[in-house]
Amino acid sequence: MKSRWVMGGGDYLDLAFLAWKQARPDEAVSRIEVSQFADYAFDLSALDALNPAEGAMFVAFDERFGNFKRMELMQAALERGFKLEPFIHPSAVVDTSAVIGLNVFVGAHAIVGHGCRIDYNTVLHAGTHVGPNSRIKASCWIENGVQLGSRVEIGGHCIVRMGASVRAGVKVGKSCELGWPRQYGEQVPAKTTFDPRYDAPIYVYES
Amino acid sequence: MRSRMPPHYYLSPEIFEREQRKIFRTVWLFAGLKTLLPKHNAFLTRKIAGIPVVIQNFNGELRAFENVCLHRSALIQAAPVGCRPLVCPYHAWRYNARGEAENIPDCDALYQFDVQERQGLKLREFALRTVGNVLFINLAPTPLPFEEQFSPEFIALLESSSNAYDTEVMVTTWHGKFNWKIAYENLRDANHPRFVHPKSLAKTVSFIPRVNTAQATASLLDLQDTSPSDLRREMRSFSFGGADAPIPDLQHFGWHQMVERWGNDDAYYNWLAFPNLHIASANGGFSFTLEHHIPIAPDRTNLEIYWFTARKKQPYAFSSQVLLAQMHGSKLVVGEDVEVMERVQAALHENAPIPTQGAYESMNRTIERWYAALMENDHEI
Repeated sequence: MKSRWVMGGGDYLDLAFLAWKQARPDEAVSRIEVSQFADYAFDLSALDALNPAEGAMFVAFDERFGNFKRMELMQAALERGFKLEPFIHPSAVVDTSAVIGLNVFVGAHAIVGHGCRIDYNTVLHAGTHVGPNSRIKASCWIENGVQLGSRVEIGGHCIVRMGASVRAGVKVGKSCELGWPRQYGEQVPAKTTFDPRYDAPIYVYES
Repeated sequence: MRSRMPPHYYLSPEIFEREQRKIFRTVWLFAGLKTLLPKHNAFLTRKIAGIPVVIQNFNGELRAFENVCLHRSALIQAAPVGCRPLVCPYHAWRYNARGEAENIPDCDALYQFDVQERQGLKLREFALRTVGNVLFINLAPTPLPFEEQFSPEFIALLESSSNAYDTEVMVTTWHGKFNWKIAYENLRDANHPRFVHPKSLAKTVSFIPRVNTAQATASLLDLQDTSPSDLRREMRSFSFGGADAPIPDLQHFGWHQMVERWGNDDAYYNWLAFPNLHIASANGGFSFTLEHHIPIAPDRTNLEIYWFTARKKQPYAFSSQVLLAQMHGSKLVVGEDVEVMERVQAALHENAPIPTQGAYESMNRTIERWYAALMENDHEI
């Protein structure tokens, strides 16, 4: 029986583990929790006992630190020779022309339109709608029920929170967080954060 | 001992206007970061003491002008930070490095200014001073010498530390419901962190309130000398900086290796530049936060919060996340301050009790003595 190691931490690890387990009754799906040290570095010792030739891995760590921690875990898995595959929930509707990258998670009832490209390590939670010909770059985190219009581009490492929608044709720069529940109708400069705890957006300027 | 600050200093629109005129349109104020203006046509805009200001890079030279077009009073530059020539978007009047309307489309045909009127079209310019990477502006027609406001030691330390600032800058604005003076009374109060921040800042930094006996005694006396030069000399002591408290067990993170640390001491650094600039490094020079408190009304203050690390050794992908994590740290710690400051403001009314101060609050008393002299008399600085 093929092994499926779902590795990571937090609520998302549970979510991904159960999703894989229900979708693949023919596989030996196991949950591997990875702890962190005081400086937030991962303790990867749990990986040493696994043989990459005996199965495939799925990295399930949430959006913290702009999805860079999940990216770090994914890199650690690849460096050790583990094979990574995307997960697409059986109830999701993904157009056959859409391209789905490694370690992507597509949750229940998500819809991905024709011509879309979802790059590696991105998470589309349940109920996400991605309009036709959209591109979501690597290591993004799109929460439940988010609506993206057609031809939307979401830069790498972005977070789109519940209650947000992005109008057709809008480009969102890399490392943005769209956390104010509203429609985003204009281009969003890279590294802009809309966090509901703050009175104004958080901007980054660099030269 | 009773404070010299009656409640109306925090409530009165008339006092607010008086301090705008006698302090904010007279002294040198924080204007922005030079790191945001690295090349020709780079600019930043802001409202300072109610006046829209643009600071623009003209071939490496930084100039500050009133950001209002001389034609129809439109803002010339609209974005907070950007890079474009100094051209009004309304009717395309273009201004040069001296603030002169260098080009007006169809000037002769449509406007028909006479020579004198045409030559007089020049934006109001303000004095600008650069200390390391920190820009100061003075809105007065005849600015007081910068060195009369800030001591040589303060200027040298600010220059040294700010030269270490990185060019990637995170910034946001909070809308506080408190008078700007309350923020600085709080910042100069080393006795509050253990009560207001017991689970955040005070867990890692050992702030120890101390009594400066000489200052405490002196602060009881009335201000004897109130000439402009005396008041300026007095004001010079209100700005200070340096290591404020030790960090006994400084926690190190991976990104610390990616930046050129300023200094080597595991200390909490604070810089207070009177009247409304606070800079801190809560990790011994690996990163800095800059807080600019902008008075909006007697009970309203906009708090601009900046975060930047010390200069990066080389770019790294997650640098903005390092800044964001620290911004969220500010949200916690400064948020605790804001909560208590808004409560103080909310409790104020015309007949509220005058605060009772202790000996350790002598710096606040010294500044308040100067402030009261300025507000209650015709004295100017």
